[in-house]
Amino acid sequence: MDDERVEDAQEIVLVARKGGFGLPTACPVCLPVYCYLRFAKVNFKLRIDRSNPDSDHIPYVEYGDYVALNNEKGGVLEILNEENIIQLDSELSKDCFSDWVSTKVMISTWLAEAVQYELWVACDSSIADYIYFSDLPWAIGKVLHWNQSRAVKQLHGITKLNVTEKEEEIYRKANLAYNALSAKLGNEEFFFEERPTSVDALFLAHAAFVINALPETSLLRSSLVKYANLTRFVETFKGDMLEASCSSSQTASPFEASSSSVPRTKKSKQSPKPKPKKRERTEEEKSFRRRAKYFIAAQVVSVLIFLTVLGGMGDFGVDDDDNDGLAYDD
Amino acid sequence: MAITSDPEVGVNPKPGDTEAEIEGTADAGDGEEADNDETEEEEEEEEPSASGREKFNRALIRLSEGPVRIRVHDVIIRGNGKTKKALIEAEVLDAFRSASSMQELLRAAGLANARLRQLDIFESVTIVLDSGSSELPNTANVIIDIVEVKNPLSGDLVVYTKPEPLELVVHIVNQARYRSFEGSLKLKNLFGYGDIWDASGAYEFDGTSEISLGVSLPRFRIIPAPLTTRVLLLSQDWLKFSSYKEHLLGLSVGLISTRKHELTYNLTWCSLLDPSSIPSKSIRSQLGHSLLSSIRYSCKIDHRDSKVRPTRGYAFSSTSQIAGLGPDNRLIQFLRQDFDLRGAIPLGFYNAALNFGVTAGAVMPWAGFTNSSTPMCERFYMGSHSSPVCKLGGPASLFSFKQRGLGPTDMQRVISSKRIEDKDAASSGGDASGSIASQNRDAVGGDLAVTAFADLSFDLPLKVFRESGVHGHMFINVGNLIKVSEELANFPFHRFLDTFRSSAGVGIVIPTRLFRMEINYCYLLKQSEHDHGKTGIQFSLSTS
Repeated sequence: MDDERVEDAQEIVLVARKGGFGLPTACPVCLPVYCYLRFAKVNFKLRIDRSNPDSDHIPYVEYGDYVALNNEKGGVLEILNEENIIQLDSELSKDCFSDWVSTKVMISTWLAEAVQYELWVACDSSIADYIYFSDLPWAIGKVLHWNQSRAVKQLHGITKLNVTEKEEEIYRKANLAYNALSAKLGNEEFFFEERPTSVDALFLAHAAFVINALPETSLLRSSLVKYANLTRFVETFKGDMLEASCSSSQTASPFEASSSSVPRTKKSKQSPKPKPKKRERTEEEKSFRRRAKYFIAAQVVSVLIFLTVLGGMGDFGVDDDDNDGLAYDD
Repeated sequence: MAITSDPEVGVNPKPGDTEAEIEGTADAGDGEEADNDETEEEEEEEEPSASGREKFNRALIRLSEGPVRIRVHDVIIRGNGKTKKALIEAEVLDAFRSASSMQELLRAAGLANARLRQLDIFESVTIVLDSGSSELPNTANVIIDIVEVKNPLSGDLVVYTKPEPLELVVHIVNQARYRSFEGSLKLKNLFGYGDIWDASGAYEFDGTSEISLGVSLPRFRIIPAPLTTRVLLLSQDWLKFSSYKEHLLGLSVGLISTRKHELTYNLTWCSLLDPSSIPSKSIRSQLGHSLLSSIRYSCKIDHRDSKVRPTRGYAFSSTSQIAGLGPDNRLIQFLRQDFDLRGAIPLGFYNAALNFGVTAGAVMPWAGFTNSSTPMCERFYMGSHSSPVCKLGGPASLFSFKQRGLGPTDMQRVISSKRIEDKDAASSGGDASGSIASQNRDAVGGDLAVTAFADLSFDLPLKVFRESGVHGHMFINVGNLIKVSEELANFPFHRFLDTFRSSAGVGIVIPTRLFRMEINYCYLLKQSEHDHGKTGIQFSLSTS
């Protein structure tokens, strides 16, 4: 892929799941890609997908006619790197390469697993519902939530018999990871070579999600906030990377799903969508919705009239001109 | 009189009962004379059968002269071991009670017989019209003898060989066959309410599979309309045409179902999946889950003389669908309307007839329509080889075009050269020339579809063809399919007219009892840039 393709007017679009909890995208799988693009100082648009909560191809990045899907070849970040679209990890010195790889793997496995466990097993369902299913009809959301919870348990081998042991193992690994990361970060601004790499993006996304989205009673959150430098890292970049305005285009879902519902739990941080956009839409659709309701009411009334007044039920299935071979002589 | 369930028998009065039932009162005012006649008739009941036939003939003559006043006193139902009596009475009582003459009674008996047979839960139905009690003159009793099905469970398994349209282009013969398996089980009258339970499944080698369970009731409580409910699991593979797979899990409730009118409620979970990772941007934005809650009303009037080879008459069909019914505003919301008009005019030579028709359909979201598009699974797709002559099925068929072969398209995903090389290296056989993959296009469907056709059918000169119904036809058809939901304010009317596709052809039609088979030579007159149309010989099967 030529660099000039990026430098061309072709825009880069990140398609991710909806935002919330003070984050531009509240999905722990999508947020690393967002942070990566922000660290790389790339201009991109954020488009929200509301109807694919269980798909593994999200997040994906569109750059012109090309698409980098998350379920291909190591994920979006790998593809962006290999295709030379955005190379945050280029020119990494050989000295720290092995360390960088092991740190990245630790974040991508141990910490990612811990977040999955918290989201789908440990915490109540309101957080996952808000992030993934609040824009789907209730029945579909419930079924998909149950399915996803079951899949996560299967993936990690969690059963009713071993849930306690598995939980201890997951939190133990997460603690080890936090310890190692804290030691690695020290008082530096970045983890490696005083510049942002994909490790910084991955950890920022993970930590921002844990601190903002998980309830204060979460064990994972409690483990993280014990390390002051890790918390400082998040606070330092959260303002620049995650709260700075970013352009977001229309939703990818064409069904204009309702605005996000706020999570019900009091323990979760709540971050409703920007209200002005919602008000505009309401003003535009008010009269049309009213007309649509009148239209539907008229249809229902006409059906009821047909059923009761017109009495067209007398000769169901058998008309006088029914060609059934029976002949009558009058 | 005994009326059997055999439709060929017709109505035949029993000779022994002839005098009692038929020679009742001839006029409404002759009350005393009627009583005297009845007394005489009772004495004559035991005459031998020869004279009974004479009486039967006299009775028929009497019936043809004018109304013979009589009323039904009692309806007796026998043989219903499992079937609820109320069900049978609901089907027949109204017809008998409204009969005030012998002629009307005979007609009512035939009607009742047909209705009971239509329930499809009886082996046989016999209706006997017997004379009423002597204390009640001018009355008759109706005796309904039914035989319930001995084995309520039935099933069948069918293997179809459905040839893909046979395309014979000058140099190439390309023929693909798809086998499909269809099986069904039916359980009749399980609870005695005329309920019919059925389970069916179908599988085609192109990846489409369907499983459905259904139950139908002839009537539900006080509502006399048949009620059908169906649960359906359907998986359709559109990878070849649009790079996605479709899974539908639905519940369908038929609220009203008559020959002309049908009202159905549908609740369907629609999932669009992308196993290929190559769909276009338009398809990618539509992937995911959605819930459809809709009511659909269709009205069909078909006054053509034949559904396989119409030569006279007209047919009209209108289907309206409103989706988004429910308290949840995250449901799919759209309005859809289809019109279908057909006509057939006989030309008076070689049994020729001119068939013509026009079909139109439109779908649009009814909430936020200015900035949203219609759901992919509800759009119109055009292009197939099924004949538009017979079936009232909406704007879908256009000869010369493959399935989903015309209409809006979008370019599939571009895969970079580097990844093509890696993929080829991994598969160790590909062309590692570094070129970018050829760009196919996905059919994305449209919101407004219009088709029209004219078809001239005529007998072939050979007698053997005429006797078997094989005939020839010439046709021309036009059609267009566009997306309008995103540009409704500035509807491109001129562009819509300019982009109509057309084709013409000639062929042979072989009608069978189940379907209409055609072998046509189709000539493509006009197509647009990304359409999949082709001139050549095409083979089609269509049902009415």
